[in-house]
Amino acid sequence: MVKALMVVLLVVIMAPLLGGLLTGIDRVLTARMQGRVGPPVLQPFYDVLKLLGKEALAANRRQVAWALGYLVLIIASLALFCLGGDLLIIVFTMAFAAGSFVLGGFSVRSPYSHIGSQRELLQMLAYEPVLILLALGVYLQTGSFMVKDLFHQSQPLLASMPLVFIALLIVLTIKIRKSPFDLATSHHGHQELVKGITTEYSGPYLALIEVTHWYELVLLLGLAAMFWTHPLGAGILLALAAFFIEMVIDNICARLTWNWMIKFTWTGGIILCLINLGVIWVLRAGGV
Amino acid sequence: MELINKSRVKSPWLLHYDGSSCNGCDIEVLACLTPIYDVERFGIINTGNPKHADILLITGGVNKKAARVVKNLYEQMPEPKVVVAVGVCACSGGVFHDCYNILGGIDRVIPVDVYVPGCAARPEAIIDGVVRALQVLAAKTDKEAVV
Amino acid sequence: MITGKYLVAVSIWLPVAAALLCWLGQSYSLRNIVSYLTGIILAVCALGLFLSGPFDYQPGEIWGLSWNTAISAADFALLALILYIGWRQRHKLIIILAAIQALLLICFDFGLGGSEIEPVPAFAVDHLAIIMALIINIVGSLICIYGVKYIAEHEEQHPVAKSRQPRFMFWLIIFLGAMNGLVFANNLYWMYFFWEVTTFCSFQLIGHDQSDEAIGNACRALWMNSLGGAAFALGLVILLRYGGGDYLSMQYLLSHHTAAGATGAILLAVSMLVLAGMTKSAQLPFQSWLLGAMVAPTPVSALLHSSTMVKAGVYLILRLAPVYAGTYLSSMTAIAGAFTFLAASVLAISQSNAKRVLAYSTVANLGLIIACAGINTPTAISAAIVLIIFHAVSKGLLFLCTGYVEHEIGSRDIEAMEGLADRLPAAATIFTIGIISMFLPPFGMLVGKWAAIESAAQLPLAAFLLVLASAVTALFWLKWLGRMLEGRPGAIAQREIMDSHYIASLGGLTAAAVLLSIFIGPVVNSMVTPAVTQYYFSPGLEANLETIAAGSGGLFSVWPLFILLALIAVAAGFLYQPRKVKNPPVYLCGENAGLPESTVFMTTGENMGEVKLSNYYFTGFLNEARWSRVVNRVGLIMILLLLGVTLW
Ligand code: SF4
Repeated sequence: MVKALMVVLLVVIMAPLLGGLLTGIDRVLTARMQGRVGPPVLQPFYDVLKLLGKEALAANRRQVAWALGYLVLIIASLALFCLGGDLLIIVFTMAFAAGSFVLGGFSVRSPYSHIGSQRELLQMLAYEPVLILLALGVYLQTGSFMVKDLFHQSQPLLASMPLVFIALLIVLTIKIRKSPFDLATSHHGHQELVKGITTEYSGPYLALIEVTHWYELVLLLGLAAMFWTHPLGAGILLALAAFFIEMVIDNICARLTWNWMIKFTWTGGIILCLINLGVIWVLRAGGV
Repeated sequence: MELINKSRVKSPWLLHYDGSSCNGCDIEVLACLTPIYDVERFGIINTGNPKHADILLITGGVNKKAARVVKNLYEQMPEPKVVVAVGVCACSGGVFHDCYNILGGIDRVIPVDVYVPGCAARPEAIIDGVVRALQVLAAKTDKEAVV
Repeated sequence: MITGKYLVAVSIWLPVAAALLCWLGQSYSLRNIVSYLTGIILAVCALGLFLSGPFDYQPGEIWGLSWNTAISAADFALLALILYIGWRQRHKLIIILAAIQALLLICFDFGLGGSEIEPVPAFAVDHLAIIMALIINIVGSLICIYGVKYIAEHEEQHPVAKSRQPRFMFWLIIFLGAMNGLVFANNLYWMYFFWEVTTFCSFQLIGHDQSDEAIGNACRALWMNSLGGAAFALGLVILLRYGGGDYLSMQYLLSHHTAAGATGAILLAVSMLVLAGMTKSAQLPFQSWLLGAMVAPTPVSALLHSSTMVKAGVYLILRLAPVYAGTYLSSMTAIAGAFTFLAASVLAISQSNAKRVLAYSTVANLGLIIACAGINTPTAISAAIVLIIFHAVSKGLLFLCTGYVEHEIGSRDIEAMEGLADRLPAAATIFTIGIISMFLPPFGMLVGKWAAIESAAQLPLAAFLLVLASAVTALFWLKWLGRMLEGRPGAIAQREIMDSHYIASLGGLTAAAVLLSIFIGPVVNSMVTPAVTQYYFSPGLEANLETIAAGSGGLFSVWPLFILLALIAVAAGFLYQPRKVKNPPVYLCGENAGLPESTVFMTTGENMGEVKLSNYYFTGFLNEARWSRVVNRVGLIMILLLLGVTLW
């Protein structure tokens, strides 16, 4: 119990530092890829600190409550993940968090945040099946939905679920709001005409959302690291590599429409998962 | 508090609005974002949303139609905020100052903190104007702290 | 068990008496008192049953006749009535199906000499039946209380020459009695009788408004359920012919076929009963009767969807699950259920009528429950029971709230509900809780769905369908909720005055939805686990549900999440203090018109426009009529396959 609390505390403190730093590195590397110098690595922290000091503007209380819900629920899923909890529950809690974000956007009668929310919903529709299938794949491979049981595996998950990993990369593109799938909103490194789902947030409330994105980034990279648990260092490298791939994709792609996104994920992503799970299932049924 | 004040200067987010410019200044503003000038070095971002912005950057003078818009945008920005008028049109109306529809410079509608002259204003001047604006911003917050 | 006997008798007969009283009494205040009293007594009865635990009960004789004969007679009378209705409506299908049922019953009663071997006991109240009784008598009674007020308002809005309120309450309350009989019945022949009574009640209730549409839809409900009834009767005849009288006892069936799995004719009979359950639970391709049932006044929908009618179908399928465990019938049932879950969820996206969204969601969730029954592991069965409990509460709540809102704003369209959070804050809060409790953690439905997907891993096709469906569900719920939460910056919430009937029913169900979810551990331990271990003799319950039950032992327990949700609500109050936070107008590219309504903007010229928002319904792609045809065909193929694998 005490140990669990310590882990949670560590997560709450360390994850945003890590996530903010990664975001900063992302911005610098992106700038370099575009032949620019880019901001300081600590730029995301400056941004959030500044936002914290700004005047609070909001439409109503529920808008703020849902944004807070987004933060708290993402922290909860990350904590569950770090405690080695049930993957399906982690995915469902993440869905609640994303839903909370969507409802925050819906809480104001504003055309821009509404369109953002609708698109975020479509993004959820696009990635949710892949995430659940990922959990199912982990179960088929290891016989357990628990993250902590992955550490008893001799063979990295990547060896048996390479296609699911590719599908996860697609999910990552959507979840960390990278082109071609940054439909609902993008990060502040992107210069936008209008910000989509976060349009009606400002000041400290926007800071809340930014910090949530940091937590979320760590959680998502954690999911990627899960594919190689022995040694964990390899998993971390894998996650960082995945993050780098996302950056490259972001810089070479234009934004696409939501129709395309749904088609792409529901055919490409889900079929990748299916083939992979099918192979595992057949191998297992064959007693290999 | 100290940390927040410091961050403020390091993370100016802009809202760029075209009052009724000839587009000359707008092109120069956008040029600031290109690799050559790369304003993101200073943490500057073009947000396109008053609710996220710290600095309102206006090109061109205001005409009767745009006056309401400028006021609205200004009011929707959270405090502390500053206004930069880019180009002579925005400063005083410029060559258009006695057009039938032009009210004059931006300061006819909202308080302006920094004037960047030039026709069109050069990117270096614009960046310099934003940096000045940051000083104003810092001064404003200091004053607030005293009050 | 002396008290138990009385409790069963009261649960069945009290609604009959109360219904008659409502009908004969004709006065609003009488209906009012009767519904409250009946509700309280029934709830106490159900709790009493829960405390007393399982028992069997064989009623004695009535006026020298055996009850079995009385029920036979009542059966024929009911079929004659249905035949008469079919003839009056000139509805061939109803006539044919009723005639088939009558013929089957004649075979059953006279041709096979079955009535001499009467299975005992007639009633067997086991853990599952007790759970159902709790749902029927508590949720159902709350709906009846709500119904008294609702139907009075309904008649004010749609005046009729002679008040039909007494008639409405009659059928509404008697429904509860029939459902109680159905869940307690051990003798399948008796169950069939109650089954037919619920079909008939729903026919009467759906047709309540007497419009052409209402009568048409009522007839559709009648023929589809008669089809199920015919399958049920056929199942009975096969059981009697190939098994013998003993096989008509549910307990006998369960205890003689658990684990080993039934074979041959018995399995065929079971598949017939499963088919009957599927029609009653409005599974594809029979979903149209439930969607059509939406024309009825809302309490009817609430009753049909949450605690009665459709739950009878899943109850039967779930009851029989141990009998067909390990057969192809089981796998096929799982796949058919999962397919319904997916198809109905997808169709729900295209709907803007709140009641139709709820209806599709009911069909979908029943599909999920049936899929669990088909997966047929102890965990899956527990999941199914958990889903039945929580679905009843949340769906009842959502329907009642929709009805309330409909009377307040005059529309049941989701688009008309925009900004409800400021117009009817209490209703919007109830909706928020109701909707979240349908599909998000840490509420009971999600726990059920989670257990379902975990146990579905054994059956990849079903698992795959469940995964897709579960992703789709979030879409239609969230976009609906989004419409209601929307508001203008700084709008002040209006005061809302709710009638006491509505406060009692909506408040009761909201409290139930939240409290049951918080105390899901005890609920699972004291109700669900016994109901499962009862028939799955090796209680190989995978540890998962037990960890929830343990409360804090597992890594997922619902407590921390509930605490977090409470924390969010409180902290939001601190973060947003109305006096300190400014509410600037929404961003409209600076074109705000500067009016107090901050969403008015200047358009061309000096004209003003108001922001218009609407949800995506994808009606171009998700054309309901077209897709219904497609999924109905697939559904039909599934049903045929289901029967096919049994014969094979
Ligand atoms: S200052 Fe010159 S370049 Fe700029 S808007 Fe005016 S006329 Fe155009």
